[in-house]
Amino acid sequence: MIPDYLERLERELNFDRLLARNVRQEVEDHLWEAVAADTTVNMLAAQQRAIASFGDARAIAAQFATVSLAKHSRRAGATSVLVIASVFVAMKARIAWYAAAQWAISDDMRAVGGLVAQIDRYAFWLSVIIGLGGWAYIVSRRIPAAFHSGYRRQLRCFFLLCCAAAAALVVSVISDGVLTALLLLGTESSAGFLVAIFSMAIEIGCVGILVFHIRGITLRMASTAALLNM
Amino acid sequence: MLKGHLDMIVLAALSAAGPAHGYAIIEQIKRRSDGAFDLPEGTIYPALHRLEQAGLLKSSWMTADSGRRRRVYTLTRTGNRALIERRAVWKQFSDAIGGLLGATRPRENPA
Repeated sequence: MIPDYLERLERELNFDRLLARNVRQEVEDHLWEAVAADTTVNMLAAQQRAIASFGDARAIAAQFATVSLAKHSRRAGATSVLVIASVFVAMKARIAWYAAAQWAISDDMRAVGGLVAQIDRYAFWLSVIIGLGGWAYIVSRRIPAAFHSGYRRQLRCFFLLCCAAAAALVVSVISDGVLTALLLLGTESSAGFLVAIFSMAIEIGCVGILVFHIRGITLRMASTAALLNM
Repeated sequence: MLKGHLDMIVLAALSAAGPAHGYAIIEQIKRRSDGAFDLPEGTIYPALHRLEQAGLLKSSWMTADSGRRRRVYTLTRTGNRALIERRAVWKQFSDAIGGLLGATRPRENPA
């Protein structure tokens, strides 16, 4: 009986595998301890009572879903800041490499390069401001006990900030890509190209991580809402 | 009403019991409230996880005598501070309500 209940609880919590595993172990300990403390001889009745006192698996999973969503939103906020910082480091390292190798955009492409560099700069600093704002916003919110409408509004706001930061970062990385392409087109190919390509790959990877986390928030919001529509 | 004060109840139980696992915390709550708080026991666990995330508790895994894995929660310094603050707010609220209820007199008949 208890194994069946634990199975059901773990299934309801499958939106977060690690949480599901930990909660299962915690609840298993609780239920068997309750059975051991039960003075009746009938083992089955004691298990039934322990489960009844513990509560409905789906209702408990719904409460855990809210906690998990809050945790992942905070993690996504911190990730966005780290991702933006990583893009900055990759960008600066590439520029330092260009300077050391004395590579520059050819004269006929300089005007286009200047315009793209402006877009790159503004988009990047916009992503910094929005990313930091989003992180500060979500960290300063209290973790609620329930998935109430106020918290939904906060999450939607945070989600929009994350999307805006990601969009600005995508524009910045695309601009970096264009600048890199303009520079490499006017330069004789060499092993040094790998440095530029590698740094671009890091930037693209960082954006991918950010998008993955944003997608994670939407999936968790959907699963939490589904659990609450019992 | 209990739901709104669950965090304070859990913090107070942990403060009284010292490091404890979920079942022991529930037992502590039942004992100290003379069984007045009859909430579904499972609701304590999301509250414990939430309080841990907020930095008010910390947890560690250990192996119980039964051989099962057990998660033990401890109040952090921040948690202790939060409990002191909540106790003060509660006392203020309780005194105010007590004063109001104590001052209530039957309405006199205007006729």
